[in-house]
Amino acid sequence: MVELRELCRTYQIGDQVIEAVRDVSLAVEGGEFVSIIGHSGSGKSTLLSMIGGLARPTSGTVLIEGEDIWSRDDAFRSDFRNARIGFIFQFASLIPTLNAIENVALPRTFGSRRRRAADEEEAIMLLEKVGLGERLFSYPNELSGGQQRRVAIARALINRPALLLADEPTGDLDEETEAEVMELLLSSCREFKAAFLMVTHNRAISEGASKVVRLKGGELQ
Amino acid sequence: MKIYQIAMREIARRKVRTLYTASSVALSVALLIAALMVGMAGQKDLLLTIARYGHSLTIFPATTNETSLQSFGIGSGHYIPEDAIPEIQEVYEKAIRLGWEKKGGLVINDGMPGGVSTLDPAIFTPRLYEETTVTGRKVVVAGIRAEDEYKARFWWEVDAGTLLSNPEEAMVGKVFANVTGAKPGDILTINAMAFKVSGVLRETDSPDDYIIFADLKKVQATFGKPNRVSLINVRAMCNYCPVGEAELALNTKVVGVRATSQREIAEAQHRIFKNVTNVILGLVMLSMIIACMAVFNMVMGSIHNRMREAGLLKVVGASRGQLIRLFIYESLIIGLVGGVIGYALGHALAVSVGPMLLNGAAIETRWYYLPIAIGAAMTASVLASLYPAYYVSRIRAAEAFRAL
Repeated sequence: MVELRELCRTYQIGDQVIEAVRDVSLAVEGGEFVSIIGHSGSGKSTLLSMIGGLARPTSGTVLIEGEDIWSRDDAFRSDFRNARIGFIFQFASLIPTLNAIENVALPRTFGSRRRRAADEEEAIMLLEKVGLGERLFSYPNELSGGQQRRVAIARALINRPALLLADEPTGDLDEETEAEVMELLLSSCREFKAAFLMVTHNRAISEGASKVVRLKGGELQ
Repeated sequence: MKIYQIAMREIARRKVRTLYTASSVALSVALLIAALMVGMAGQKDLLLTIARYGHSLTIFPATTNETSLQSFGIGSGHYIPEDAIPEIQEVYEKAIRLGWEKKGGLVINDGMPGGVSTLDPAIFTPRLYEETTVTGRKVVVAGIRAEDEYKARFWWEVDAGTLLSNPEEAMVGKVFANVTGAKPGDILTINAMAFKVSGVLRETDSPDDYIIFADLKKVQATFGKPNRVSLINVRAMCNYCPVGEAELALNTKVVGVRATSQREIAEAQHRIFKNVTNVILGLVMLSMIIACMAVFNMVMGSIHNRMREAGLLKVVGASRGQLIRLFIYESLIIGLVGGVIGYALGHALAVSVGPMLLNGAAIETRWYYLPIAIGAAMTASVLASLYPAYYVSRIRAAEAFRAL
């Protein structure tokens, strides 16, 4: 499903070359949950950006469903990201002017595989699935942090992605909500048979992962 | 959900910013609309002025040297037979009709002052000029057909007495009256014939101020020049009349006359129109640039607040083109609001200030300026948003990701 081959990313600040990610190779199957842990600055988010088609690797290959995403142009990656990858961020990152249904259906606005006729119904179905059937028309500022995170999860799932990427998805949540959100993520990935790659520095939430990899100084340990 | 709906939601959320940005567009558009309205009113005023002071054609005896002092036909010893006027009229009118047909038969500036139907007959005002001595001073006496002359020179008024209406009377120009002290009721002896002064013509800033006017037939009889006129002035009664065609026809078809169209006036008219148009265009460009700069500054100023949103949209799959479209839609809405407000403001400005600038000329409401205002505002708004939109669309995906 997802295969990383000798992935590298370097930055240059003045004369100094910084290797954010070094020779990372990894394979993740559909339905598998892989947790990437490491301290701040270890290259976790950079690695996730490269896998998600957001940051170009200095070298190496990212294969998703057999597609070498960095050999294609930006338009293709935008489209591919829209259709095949779901993102969940450290914060809910919802559009404040859109209600829950509209936020969930947002990815359907973009990309070439738009299916607007059923957008709303599918968004409602997903919101009911994440337990927000009563808050369909609520705006982000009317929802709690946990509820906002659920909306973000529903948004990530709307296009039935092959890969779900999460960057500290429970960073600002209390323990109880954190457990609920993680359970929701895992069950959703199982249901959609999506590969789930999660970056965190919290070892506790990595417990349910089928594979835990540690990143240190940009290298897998 | 469509991209324009997201743009509308964003606009609705940022009402104050939107109104603030739109108001800068509105002010520029108001300037544009006011300039257009006042400019058009000014052009109309100009047309009136030109219609007032310009003859379209002057017909001299063929042998007159128009570049000399004899250009008025005074003392040239050459005349046009008065009974040739109907033939001259016929040739003239036919040439004008043919000229219009060549132009496609259209009436240009229909409804504008002077832009009357091409079929309106021209006014022919023959004059006989004779030089003589009156009250010890050399003076030019002009024999005129008073009624036709009044139609052609509708601005003629008298400072004292009445306009000429009786063959036994004479009307004197303002300068002549000032120099000789002539006043209504006085008797002037012209070539041994007595004429009672009917009135003093109000100053016209033209040679008419120095002349004594009397009935054409009476002047012909007084100077022993029956059936003779020195020249014929022709007012074409329309703008852009093909007087050149008439000039050519008269010079080739009527023996003994030489027609001269007053090209200087036509050229001056064109020059003035061109200058007015250039000034208006300059103001339009200036107002557009001001609008663009204002919108650009405001959009760029708020752009950093939008990077997070742009980043999110990019992450969920928005292409660069779609991000640009989102910002363009927003600028179109701002332009729409600015255009409508700008039209209203510009209209109010033109109506209140225009008459002061144009000596009371009427400023007309023209609804077709509304789409012009909206179009200009939208264009300015979109042009000013292109770079900010492009800038946002180029947000590096990694930055977008970190922003979320």
